[in-house]
Amino acid sequence: MSFDNPDQILVELSRLIVGYFADAPYLSFLVGVLLSSVPLIAIFPGCFAFTTWLERKGLARIQNRYGPNRVGPFGLFQPIADGIKMLMKEDIVPTRSDKWGHLLAPIFIMIPAMMGLAFLPLARNMTAVAIDSGLLFFFAIGSLATLAVFLAGWASRNKYSLLGGMRAVAQMVSYEMPLILSAVVVVMMVGSMNTSLIVEAQQYKPWVESDNPLFQCLGQIRGWFVFTPWGFAGFLIFFVASLAETNRSPFDIPEADSEIIAGHMTEYSGFKYALFFISEYVSAFAIIGIGVTLFLGGWNGPNIRPPWSDDPQAYLIPGFVWFFAKMFFLMCVMIWIRGTMPRLRVDQLMGFAWKFLLPLAFINIFVAGFYYYAPWYYGWPVSIGVLWTSYRFLSRVNQDKRIVRKRTYKFA
Amino acid sequence: MSGSGLLKGMVVTAKNFFGSYVSKERLTTVSYPEEKSTVSHFSRNVPFLVFDGDDADAGMRCTSCFQCEKACPPKCIIIEKAKDENGKPLKRPAEFKIDMSVCMGCQICVEVCPFESIWMDSEFELATTDRFDGLLFDLKKLLKSNEYFHEIHPQDAEASDERLRLLAEKKKATEAKKLARQKAAAEKKAAEAKEKKEEGAE
Amino acid sequence: MTIIFIILSITALTGAISAIFLKNLIYAVYSLLLLFVAIAGIFLMLMAEFLAVVQILVYLGAIGILVLFGVMMTRNISGASSERILSRGWFFGLVISVLMLFGVLIPGLAFSELSSSPAVETITPSVKEIGIQLMHLNTPALWLTAVLLTAALIGAVVVAVPRNYSSKLFLTYKLENKNKSSK
Repeated sequence: MSFDNPDQILVELSRLIVGYFADAPYLSFLVGVLLSSVPLIAIFPGCFAFTTWLERKGLARIQNRYGPNRVGPFGLFQPIADGIKMLMKEDIVPTRSDKWGHLLAPIFIMIPAMMGLAFLPLARNMTAVAIDSGLLFFFAIGSLATLAVFLAGWASRNKYSLLGGMRAVAQMVSYEMPLILSAVVVVMMVGSMNTSLIVEAQQYKPWVESDNPLFQCLGQIRGWFVFTPWGFAGFLIFFVASLAETNRSPFDIPEADSEIIAGHMTEYSGFKYALFFISEYVSAFAIIGIGVTLFLGGWNGPNIRPPWSDDPQAYLIPGFVWFFAKMFFLMCVMIWIRGTMPRLRVDQLMGFAWKFLLPLAFINIFVAGFYYYAPWYYGWPVSIGVLWTSYRFLSRVNQDKRIVRKRTYKFA
Repeated sequence: MSGSGLLKGMVVTAKNFFGSYVSKERLTTVSYPEEKSTVSHFSRNVPFLVFDGDDADAGMRCTSCFQCEKACPPKCIIIEKAKDENGKPLKRPAEFKIDMSVCMGCQICVEVCPFESIWMDSEFELATTDRFDGLLFDLKKLLKSNEYFHEIHPQDAEASDERLRLLAEKKKATEAKKLARQKAAAEKKAAEAKEKKEEGAE
Repeated sequence: MTIIFIILSITALTGAISAIFLKNLIYAVYSLLLLFVAIAGIFLMLMAEFLAVVQILVYLGAIGILVLFGVMMTRNISGASSERILSRGWFFGLVISVLMLFGVLIPGLAFSELSSSPAVETITPSVKEIGIQLMHLNTPALWLTAVLLTAALIGAVVVAVPRNYSSKLFLTYKLENKNKSSK
């Protein structure tokens, strides 16, 4: 085993461990499966715990408060305290609820959330399930969360829960369309649905393989799809749709706390509630991770070849560092948005998905097709122009034409 | 242009986010047990008893007139009148208790008190581990000096002192009048007696 | 492999049978979804990875939710215990379906040229193959399907929109608003 390539240390390590069991094929298979799945199951809930702290702290600072600062330095151990509290809480099952549905819904919701992680290319050769149609698999599994949410809403036998479940189904079904259609663009350009190949395609090979460290750095950034007109538009559509898919603010109407008291989670307490919470954040991570993979270059980052290595695929900083950095950056943007935007109304939400995002995603597909065949001096201005015009046109068409009068209060 | 409003909003929140790290004035909250935000002079929570001078026992203003006990809507004031050795009631309470778990801070006791003795405190840290006896405040806990009163409610204390002064003056005046009247009556009596004597002598 | 197949087929059968016999409609829907999952697993076993994905995406993600929406419109979801599940002529139906199974389906499968083993050995090339098949050789079929679906979509919209949409709905809305403001 060699440590020539810091990027591949973990891969080499897992190969080494699997190598110990080479004599027993079934055992080595099992160990290989465990080595690629257990870290995911361990790391992402850890990320979730950190994110709850980050979110509370960030929202507090946005609202000019301190945020959690009691448990540990800067309140960093707050998630542990929260977890202990969640574990010790009474598990309340309403008498009139559907017992089986109430029990199974939080279990069902963890399955798609955790399975979605399997397709994220954390670094080169570090995809748990590197299959050819990984992206499609991700979206297929992502659509399953709806079923669990609906089951939770129905089984609680509570009006608010049922409303939340219905809203969740409606919202997730409508936002899946722009989400997938904006990802289709990347699949068109790369010609593969394999997430690892999509990341590889976002390197500018001549620069990455050159000897100049500066060019090596820039070559790993230059190729990101977000720096193309269609990629930028696709990324924005993808990001907005992923906010809605994961019920994040401002699209959190299925669990609007001030209207329907957390929707499908109303009747849940203790660790069942925590499971819903974890799955929400883990699926947010998964969908952001796919966004990073598709548009922000995955594990590519300003990286140089280590001086002692000649391998063009060797990097000094491991790829998963960049991957997680980008993921947390997007998570921070999500928190930032949550601290800024008010919640949408149901009709606004549906209108936004069907009348704005979906047409824009369709237009983006055509633009990407044009960009693929046109030379750059022709493709860039035309695609920017078309996207800009359609953006302006769609926003003009969707403008609320009712005259907004100043609100007058008669009885107050 | 559509979408610019969203960006503007994002900029505002970003300003707040970074601003809260830079300038302390932005922060609306304080880290409570270590720091406390200042309490307004007009805040009131639960009643306390004022005493004059340094000695709480001597300077007690309360005369145990039972006005506050009678006026208290939730009946949380319990007064016991002090008596001397012969069983004669004195103008001071032997025990004065307020159940803080019952008190609703209505300030009616303050309004009825004729002796400027009971006033509202701005103390808010009443938490205790014993919710029965811990919240039943007795004289020792209730009595607070006039200086403290001046500190928490300067305007009220000023007015209260003024009224007390006027009251004292009035009392003095009435007493002087009474004295003068007594004197006059005594003189008259003496004169009458003299007259009688003179008549008797004749 | 056989063990996994047996587990998957037992799951599928359980799902299918309970979908028929459960009185609670939501339970029935979810056991139907269990059947779909098991079938997706069987597709995966046969190295038809793309088909498995499509099975999950279409049957669980789309049809499952559609059925759930349908169930939500139903009045008696949990099902009265007095209600019978089997129709009156269930015996004849059973006989006919058994006859169909043993008379048509199984002989048809047995005597056909279809191979019983997976068509490909590994998962990898399946997506590309399907793409080439769809986009090069069977393009007319794809187009026809697309046209059909578009027609169905437009038809659905036409059916959904009430005939005098603008005159009726908007007028009442405006009138209500006017009344409110005049008050």
